Amino acid sequence: MASEGEDPDLALLEGVGRGEQAAVRRLLDARLPRILALARRLLADPDEAQDVAQETFLRAWKQAPSWRPGQARFDTWLHRVALNLCRDRLRRRRETAMVQPPEVADLAPTGEGALLGVQIGGRIETALAALPERQREAIVLCHHQGLGNKEAAALLGVSVETLESLLGRGRRALRAALADLMEAVR
Amino acid sequence: MTPDRFADLAAAHGGDIGRWPQDLREAARAALAADPSRLGAVLAAEADLDRLLDLAPAQSADAALLGLLLEAAPKPRRSASAWWAGLAAGIGLAVATVAGVAVGVASGAGERLDRRADALLAAAYDQPEPDTAAEALPELLDEATDL
Repeated sequence: MASEGEDPDLALLEGVGRGEQAAVRRLLDARLPRILALARRLLADPDEAQDVAQETFLRAWKQAPSWRPGQARFDTWLHRVALNLCRDRLRRRRETAMVQPPEVADLAPTGEGALLGVQIGGRIETALAALPERQREAIVLCHHQGLGNKEAAALLGVSVETLESLLGRGRRALRAALADLMEAVR
Repeated sequence: MTPDRFADLAAAHGGDIGRWPQDLREAARAALAADPSRLGAVLAAEADLDRLLDLAPAQSADAALLGLLLEAAPKPRRSASAWWAGLAAGIGLAVATVAGVAVGVASGAGERLDRRADALLAAAYDQPEPDTAAEALPELLDEATDL
């Protein structure tokens, strides 16, 4: 694991800047799934998630030849770009009065008992999508993406204390929305 | 760390102290050791929600996305001498072919040679642009600064 301050992607990024195909592949292997997951969990739409991931990396390719060590860690930079692209899409949805997020699975719990994994996943995705945007961002960045509190707070433009508040409120709302599913994971 | 503060942190960061902010972990573990029954139950409740959150769908990159990103990635840079050689060869061929076109028109084979001339002229100018001014003009290499 790289020590604090070292960017684990720097060598690969420099290789990308030199046009080394192997470096491109390795960087995509390491970072593309992560950015796709971020976009999917923020947008709840697989097609839009692919679009955001594509645009994020196209921008990364433009930066790679001139990337300077000592500026932001590449992973942080990727998150910032992807986060802003997701926010743009969510803003466009609101402007076109698409208030309800796309539903990707059956919402209601079945009466029969055993829930399929895809139903549970869909319920969770819908519950995340129903959160206020900032709470959803806080939870996805911290819980799913594993960013530290300082890094996540910086990406959101808030203090660490505000981040903690966003996380607490968001998790309480999710617990309420998914209360019937708690038994399924015990 | 008070039990109330511990509960607030668990509510925000979940049931695994290893995922809490690094500067709070030691105090959290000490608090848990001092009151394992109560604070252990707090962690267990948050861990249930953590497990649910882990089931939120992610997705894999499809082959089309990977292919597009691989294709769009930066390509190896050409050296300055290779760039000039390529341009000179293309221009030379284009000039020769234009001359041939003039002859070909006179001889009645103009249409075919026109198409070839067009292709070679296009190739002459279809060179990747040099990355820096110093690379574009070799005589400036002596004055190039580190970029």
